[in-house]
Amino acid sequence: MAQNRQLLLIAVGIVAIIIVIGAIILATRGGEQPAPEEAPETPPAETPREEATPTPREEAPAKPELKPLTGNVEEDIVNIAKYLEAFGVKEVTYKVHGAGDPNSIMRVYGVVEAAARLNKILEENGMDLRINVEIVDFSARADEPAERFQQSFPLRQEADIIAVSFRWIATFAEEGYLLDITEYVNAYKNTELADYFESLWASVTYKGRIYALPQDTEARPLYIIRAVLECAGYDPDDVARRIDAGEITWREIFQIAEDVKEKGCAEWGVLHRKGTAHPDLVQFYYAFGGSFTGPDPEKLYLDVDALYKWLAVEYALARAGLTPENMMEWDWGKQIHPTVVNGNTAFWIGGVWHWTEWQTKKYFTDPQTGELRSLTPEEVKEKFAYSLFPAGEPGLKPVTLSQPFVWMISANAGKFNPNYEELKEAYHRIAFLLIVKANDPDLVAIHSIVSAHIPIRQKAAELMEDPEFLNKLATGNLDMFVSKEVANAFVEIAKKTAHPINIEFLKNTAYMLEYTNITPLHPAYQPLADIFKEAVDFVLKGQMTPEEATEYVLQKIRADPELAAMIEVRGEIPQGWSFP
Amino acid sequence: MSKTRILTLAFFLGPATALVVFFFVFPLILTIYISFTDMRNWNVERYANDIVGLKNYEALVHLSRYDPKFESAVITTIVFVTVTLFINVVGGLTLAILTYFLEERVSLSFRLLWLLPRMTPVAVYSLLWYYFFHSSNIGTLNRIFMSLGIIEEPIAWGSYNLPLGTWAILIFVNGLVGVSFGMIIFYSAIRSIPWEYIAAARVDGAGNLTLIRSIILPQLRWHIMFVTVWQMLSLLTTYAHIFLLYEWGTIDRIWGQTWSLLVFTTAFGDIKRQGLAAAAATVLVVIGIVLGLIALRLLGFQRMMTIPRGEI
Repeated sequence: MAQNRQLLLIAVGIVAIIIVIGAIILATRGGEQPAPEEAPETPPAETPREEATPTPREEAPAKPELKPLTGNVEEDIVNIAKYLEAFGVKEVTYKVHGAGDPNSIMRVYGVVEAAARLNKILEENGMDLRINVEIVDFSARADEPAERFQQSFPLRQEADIIAVSFRWIATFAEEGYLLDITEYVNAYKNTELADYFESLWASVTYKGRIYALPQDTEARPLYIIRAVLECAGYDPDDVARRIDAGEITWREIFQIAEDVKEKGCAEWGVLHRKGTAHPDLVQFYYAFGGSFTGPDPEKLYLDVDALYKWLAVEYALARAGLTPENMMEWDWGKQIHPTVVNGNTAFWIGGVWHWTEWQTKKYFTDPQTGELRSLTPEEVKEKFAYSLFPAGEPGLKPVTLSQPFVWMISANAGKFNPNYEELKEAYHRIAFLLIVKANDPDLVAIHSIVSAHIPIRQKAAELMEDPEFLNKLATGNLDMFVSKEVANAFVEIAKKTAHPINIEFLKNTAYMLEYTNITPLHPAYQPLADIFKEAVDFVLKGQMTPEEATEYVLQKIRADPELAAMIEVRGEIPQGWSFP
Repeated sequence: MSKTRILTLAFFLGPATALVVFFFVFPLILTIYISFTDMRNWNVERYANDIVGLKNYEALVHLSRYDPKFESAVITTIVFVTVTLFINVVGGLTLAILTYFLEERVSLSFRLLWLLPRMTPVAVYSLLWYYFFHSSNIGTLNRIFMSLGIIEEPIAWGSYNLPLGTWAILIFVNGLVGVSFGMIIFYSAIRSIPWEYIAAARVDGAGNLTLIRSIILPQLRWHIMFVTVWQMLSLLTTYAHIFLLYEWGTIDRIWGQTWSLLVFTTAFGDIKRQGLAAAAATVLVVIGIVLGLIALRLLGFQRMMTIPRGEI
């Protein structure tokens, strides 16, 4: 009995501790408990910024002031160097972290090269200051730099510059993790940044402030496997043209895929990415007229009609055996890419970067040797036609989706350098100039060619059409453009991918940007995309009907008060609508 | 109590008490505190003093009432913890006894083999089972069965006869990791049984079964209780392997989610809501305490603590 009582006392004691601590915390608030939905909207935290002209220390009144940015890189970096040198700073260091497929290493080496170029300017102007760039990592997983940045920022251990998807801007800006570069951009808008494609500024602007510079962008074409469609009696180029014209919608795609399968031309009709609904599959939502924006800029809108139709297409594709029921579980390297490049599907919902990925990775089984190898540019051109993502229904337009990669600067950029608190404005400006130089036209052109991404500025697009430039890149003569260290990093990739066919492909897909959608910079978007992923998986596997899966999405939103407060649900499941 | 006695007690109990305070009591208090804040995105500076009252607990109640997966998560948790716990304890005990009767060299290799799942990094171990149970013909299990002619088409094991297929994978993968824990504890305990007891039993003609029933098992009462309670609490909160298999699509998205994983995915989506996660953790601590106490009672902790009346 005594032991029983002891145990009981221990349990009561622990629960009491919890209650007492809770009570103390509540008491300190004077009993006020705002309901979650009544919580005031928090504006994006102001990034701590120094005055443009910091007051020099009292003991050094003669030291120069930091002059405002002029929009001329050479003048600005020399001014900053004079200012820092007056404080005895001769060396500054920045850390950069980027991610992507192996062909995208300019997402870190671009900044290394930028430092080399700024150092050259400093040297030519007789300045002693030198800028060092350390590469933290180049991660294969696209979100890794952002996740590590998020975790290490409170510890002040984050990278100074990261190259990540634009979608992180909302979360990071809300927390005050990013440097607000609006004023810097304004200084450079008419000079170095003048030829940036206008539409991309929306992807780096959050609540009216600019938090990043675009690094690259892309489109997501529907790849049409020529041999498969020809086998079933279709002209792939005609199909592509009619998709772009909006004449072929998802209903016709379904019929073609069914035909292909019936005739034994391919095992599958339509394949798409695994694992997540964002960003490729969200194109269905846009293709059926869905939108995430509405009258209230603070809210994320969800159109039930478009969501339902998207899920209905996936459901029908899987039931007809045109898309694998376990598509979301497929393996990229062992199943998805080999099935596509070996022509075992009629359509592939992919991205422009796959064009060169198929040329550098061994997904293709050579019919003669039986060995795995990569495709040549000629083979890729011969195997694939491409179009926009088809419209959902007649009357709607075909779409594509871009998810620009951007250069973000930490609000604490340059923190590892001497006398940071006093000199941080100068350090922040150097970080900004580093990303401006990392986007030099030739560097953007090189990155676009080797990684098959669409350039973010006009000058780079023009350079990509210059045969001399292309020839130097293709022959590995990279010292002409970049420092030895950077040249060594990607000479082999450049030799393989700098091919006229690839340039032609990028030119031919550039029009897609006119049809592109950029997913909203809203904190609720990613949680919502995670719910979409589950719903897609359920309908593919047949665990839920499109109606049930749509209701599931709505229930998940309702189950999270925070999400429910941020998302406005519009419309209803359409009555009498069916697919195919 | 004399000063000397207090000092002696402090000397012996001090280090352990300090460890418990530092690694359990302090984090618990911190967790409870965070659960009353709006902490998110690891932004301690901004949210450490942002007290939001019961908001996170209300969100949990809301979640339990409206989340379409809540019911399945609770059922999965009960099945997963109960069956895996049984396998961990009974399997660990069986392995320990088996290895005890083996020659030391063979026994050591055998035990090392069983420790592999625990020594392998979580991601690697999970990837292994991802490929093993893969639903297409790249899956090892499917290939084996197809080559033996047992099946003609690949089977989606994670979706097979739901929820049984998913539960079987969950229990199998986690059970293999957990069983080695019990094995190590039980084996060490058996080895520490005085040899005289074993020798005397043998002289009296005891066979292996009698030895196990009359000598080994009675001596392992404390250890069985410890392993049971410890493993139960571990299983209640574990999600690492489950999360990876869930993310990679090996297990079903409804029946493959335990309560801890449901909370993890809700609290650590794109917006990292540490406040909400801390509230869920606090609830789990309370549930853990209650279940631990129930287990102690069921396992006769009170009887074992009773001072013996003397040897007969």
